[in-house]
Amino acid sequence: MVAAVVLVCWVVAIEVRLVVLQVWQHDELSLRAERQQSETQKTPGKRGEIVDRHGRLLAYSVDADTIYAVPTDIDDAVKAADRLCGAFDECDQKDRDQLVERLTRKRRNGSLTSFQYVKRRATPIEAKRIAALEMKGIGFMKESKRFYPNRELAAHLLGYVGTDNAGLHGLEATYDTSVRGREGTMLVQTDARGHAFSRLDRPPTTGGSLELTIDEQLQFIVERELMAGVAAARADGGTAVAMDPHTGEILAMASWPTFNPNQYQGTSDSALRNRAVQDLYEPGSTFKIVTASAALQEGVITPDDLVDTQGGVIKFPGRRPITDMGHDYGVLTFANVIVKSSNVGAIKVGLMVGPERMGLYIRRFGFGKPSSPDFPSESPGIVWNPSKLNDSALASVSMGYQVGVTPLQMAAAASVIANGGTLYEPHVVRATVKGGVRTAVPPKAVRRAILPETAATLTTIMESVVTEGTAKRARLVNYTVAGKTGTADKLVHGRYSSSQQNVSFIGFVPSRNPIMTVIVMVDSPRVGGDTGGAIAAPIFKNIADASLRLLGVTPTINPLPPVLVARRNDSPVTAAAAPMGPAVVTMPASMSDGGGLPDLRGMSARDALRELARLGLTVRMEGAGVVVDQNPAPGSLIEPGGACTLVLNRRPPPRPTGALGDPR
Amino acid sequence: MNKAGTFEYEIRKDFRNNQIVREVDERRLRDLWMSLGIGLVLVMVLLFSAWQHFELLRHGYKLEQMQRDRSAENDINRHLRLEMETLRSPQRIEKLATERLGMVSPGDAEAVVLERVTPPEAPARSVVASR
Repeated sequence: MVAAVVLVCWVVAIEVRLVVLQVWQHDELSLRAERQQSETQKTPGKRGEIVDRHGRLLAYSVDADTIYAVPTDIDDAVKAADRLCGAFDECDQKDRDQLVERLTRKRRNGSLTSFQYVKRRATPIEAKRIAALEMKGIGFMKESKRFYPNRELAAHLLGYVGTDNAGLHGLEATYDTSVRGREGTMLVQTDARGHAFSRLDRPPTTGGSLELTIDEQLQFIVERELMAGVAAARADGGTAVAMDPHTGEILAMASWPTFNPNQYQGTSDSALRNRAVQDLYEPGSTFKIVTASAALQEGVITPDDLVDTQGGVIKFPGRRPITDMGHDYGVLTFANVIVKSSNVGAIKVGLMVGPERMGLYIRRFGFGKPSSPDFPSESPGIVWNPSKLNDSALASVSMGYQVGVTPLQMAAAASVIANGGTLYEPHVVRATVKGGVRTAVPPKAVRRAILPETAATLTTIMESVVTEGTAKRARLVNYTVAGKTGTADKLVHGRYSSSQQNVSFIGFVPSRNPIMTVIVMVDSPRVGGDTGGAIAAPIFKNIADASLRLLGVTPTINPLPPVLVARRNDSPVTAAAAPMGPAVVTMPASMSDGGGLPDLRGMSARDALRELARLGLTVRMEGAGVVVDQNPAPGSLIEPGGACTLVLNRRPPPRPTGALGDPR
Repeated sequence: MNKAGTFEYEIRKDFRNNQIVREVDERRLRDLWMSLGIGLVLVMVLLFSAWQHFELLRHGYKLEQMQRDRSAENDINRHLRLEMETLRSPQRIEKLATERLGMVSPGDAEAVVLERVTPPEAPARSVVASR
């Protein structure tokens, strides 16, 4: 009887416990079990790549380990902080104290927090060192980190991203929505020992990629020469823009001082500023190309018409006389007014054009509104309402004062003359790549600003500026250059300073069928002169010289005769005219079709060049004649951008006996 | 405890049933085999189901490990690509060329441009091949 009662009680107790667990506490316990057995992890979306026009990486995201702590699982916070600190690359006493404070931080109810970051986006070596410590309560999670492999290169253009992976500056901010990837989620099921055995995930998506119009090598040249020029002049800063005048594609855009977007924290505002689009400046004499365009296009004057510079002084009521900086040019042809950059001459021509037409051409050249949608921070510039332009103001505008422009607007305006009269919208995004589909951004012709004949006349005048005018230091040995210098006193505290100037040079090379338009602007030079001709023109020259060689542009002054390889009956191959000595020819790279290197032996130098250029390879040539040897050998695999050496000889290599085509 | 004058005897009856033919109950035998078969099938099903379950678990672990490996390899690949691009940067190459190797930019006499060759433009909309 007793045993029966005990048995019944036992059964009842078990049943009650089962009911409590499986019915009464079902929801709560199910939830707890689910929490223990499965875990939802968020995987960060990766930002798309930013590459240059040849596919070279400019911005790239990789996953980095973020180290976190579960303070409730850490027994001794001080000891843990010491060990963690010892594993970091840099950790001083202050960092150590902060870490201890985080590990011992308490909630309102007095309990320890359950999650604290130890270090976000640690370096792989740091993560490895900490993982090796096998510390209790320390975990790892992946977070995407943006890297800029070329450091300062094109920093102003690219911008940077913040810790939450959002673009904060430059193209990273402008194209943030298309470049930023979508976060993914992952449901991981784990066993009793915490080992994951299955997962259901919505993978993170990688954002779209941007292919820029920038050429990495060209950008490097522009930055190098700008930095050297600014340093030599001990100037406050400077900017340079290189642009394709036929499409509006920006090939390079540099500002100095610059910054490293990998470590942008603590950078001064001055270094962060993209001077090419954010700085408004009075262009000075470079703006005379707009005055001249208006005058020539409207038939107000011809290049040979005479203009009296009246002793180099012109007066307007209520202001100081405007001078030719002490020069008395006497009577000049209109062409020479531009060549010698006579202020008085330009003013007189501007007055002949009149305020209405001057205002019209200023707008036609794209001034007064942002020139490119790729730069939302671009200043629209400041231009006069034509109805309010009196003679005094018109005089200032005619010589490039009392107008505010950005260097990019000025480059676009010069490109109008370079390409024969069409204003193109400057742009820096060449194509977007989303889901494996590349969509090109077509060039956008805004309007025809002047006729081709007017552009050609102006080009001739601008060539003279370089050959015999104010920009002799921009002259190149092998190429014709068209350009215009500019020097403008800076407005400091509402007054024009006599010691601080914005000096600039704008030009295009080769002047006939130009490859690029380049503007160089230097802010407040202190050494070596205070004019555009003395400071900015040499920088332009250095940029153009290196760039034309990089782009493989054939000389326009005393060009080499074409390479001809003739076959005669008596002698197998004779080079009528061949490249002299060792030659380096570089071409823009393109993607290889994946095949091996073709057999170039027996081909003429020119045919071999074409073939290798098609594969995106750099060519080094030794000797003259036809290709007799090549390194790497035919069939070798070589990456786009790699170099191939061709050995040339006037006699072809001996053919193996019995080879195809062997006459024997 | 036998009393005198009494005797005990035992009668042994000899049963001979070897001639009785035991008939095989086909139906019951069939039922038996069927039961055994069903039992066996059930056991097999049970074993198969258990095997499947454990295989699923094993493959789950394996798949998980492979996914982790793949993710790690991808990460390494991306890090290596980044390192490659960093090493390829024009600043670094120029620094090495000029400072360590003593190289100089070619002058007009050393560099002769024969012809400018530009690769053809990609069509406006194209599919990008992944490497």
